[in-house]
Amino acid sequence: MAKRIALTQLSSCWGCDQSLIDLHLRLLDVLPELEIVYWPAVVDYKLHDLENLPDNSIHIGLVEGSCRTKEDMHLLEIMRAKSKILVAWGSCSVFGGVQGLANQWDLKELLERKYMKAETVTDPRIPKENLSGFTEHIVPNPELVEVDVLLPGCPPTSDNTLDALTALLTNKPFDLPAKTVCDQCPMEREEKNIKQFKRTHEGKIEPGKCILDQGYLCLGFATIGLCGAQCPTVNTPCKGCFGPPPAVTDHGAKIISALGAVADMDPEELQNAFPDPIGSFYFTDYASSYLSKMRGKNRGKKK
Amino acid sequence: MTAATQKTVPSKSKKKRKGKFEPRIVAFCCNWCSYAGADLAGTSRMQMPPNARIIRINCTGRIDPLFILDALYQGADGVLISGCHPGDCHYTSGNLKMRGRFVLLKKLLEDAGIDPERIHLQWASAAEGDVFTKGVTAMVERIKKIGPNPLRKGD
Repeated sequence: MAKRIALTQLSSCWGCDQSLIDLHLRLLDVLPELEIVYWPAVVDYKLHDLENLPDNSIHIGLVEGSCRTKEDMHLLEIMRAKSKILVAWGSCSVFGGVQGLANQWDLKELLERKYMKAETVTDPRIPKENLSGFTEHIVPNPELVEVDVLLPGCPPTSDNTLDALTALLTNKPFDLPAKTVCDQCPMEREEKNIKQFKRTHEGKIEPGKCILDQGYLCLGFATIGLCGAQCPTVNTPCKGCFGPPPAVTDHGAKIISALGAVADMDPEELQNAFPDPIGSFYFTDYASSYLSKMRGKNRGKKK
Repeated sequence: MTAATQKTVPSKSKKKRKGKFEPRIVAFCCNWCSYAGADLAGTSRMQMPPNARIIRINCTGRIDPLFILDALYQGADGVLISGCHPGDCHYTSGNLKMRGRFVLLKKLLEDAGIDPERIHLQWASAAEGDVFTKGVTAMVERIKKIGPNPLRKGD
């Protein structure tokens, strides 16, 4: 019997769908096993079609993106009610995503910056008509509803999604690996003793040698090894978009911990090497960090 | 617990707090210098405010920045880290590693909108009971100026 599957997009770039479709001909192996009941990116079903389904009638529900609007919250809650297995698909869904970085500011400041003060705006006004409204701050989906399977990635590679779907279709568990990107990286490593940190545009990255050893901030050591070290393999520092391994609760804290150990620099130099530590250390997972949670709790108290 | 008792307990403690704010400070002290320094301060009967809760660790290099964030998240008003002087580390360089982590963490807190003065790093050797005492006193005064951690739970 074909399994009923629904895929939903909340606030996100829809890149996870793109990555799934990149399976190309291999999609043919999976598709006969699936009956798509909702997938706005590809199939023309409307929201009321999803709402009218009976509870627990979808075998696998994949949710991509995070809750920036109240409409997203509604969709997420519906998906939870209708799905037997709910998968948080992609870093936005698991950790809050790049948009989680907005948690550094209050909603009022964000709206003003975007709709009133943006350089290209000619008719400044905050849109209110026909909108569901914004959420105060981004909270990762697993903290809003119960999620059964986590699949981080920005986006998860085609193979990651295929592996997860195959496991779920054959009733096998899908667990995240404890290893890091460094474990998958082919670059040659030496004793780390970094005297100076460089930005990516400064100098040239020597191929075949560990990028961190060369003084570029490569976050492979604190990032879950799911992607197969795609970026370091082609001489590009890891940005940590897949988030930390399951045992690490705070990505940035782990990165700082490791940088303190490998950097042989004056404290001031080290501090100046990272002008935007939140952006550098929490690329897709600021919303799930302790810092963001502290601010989120304060926001709740002010009301 | 009934709903009624749940309500009365925090409000009572709130009243108490309104009178005088007593900061709760988590102090991580390294086994080889500052913990012994704190011990010396105690045995020599040096006076210091009783606000610091000391946690002994082998070396300041063992402190994961996560411990500090977790302490603040759980409602600590301040976190004091006290270790050996640079160059005196029992494990040669643990305190220098902590120093690097500390400056990065401080910047991170500042950017996240949390007062970076809530965390402090000091050096106090095993013979410096007075330095440790002064450090704790200064820390308590600093935190009293900043005020309570908004995440602080009832006493």
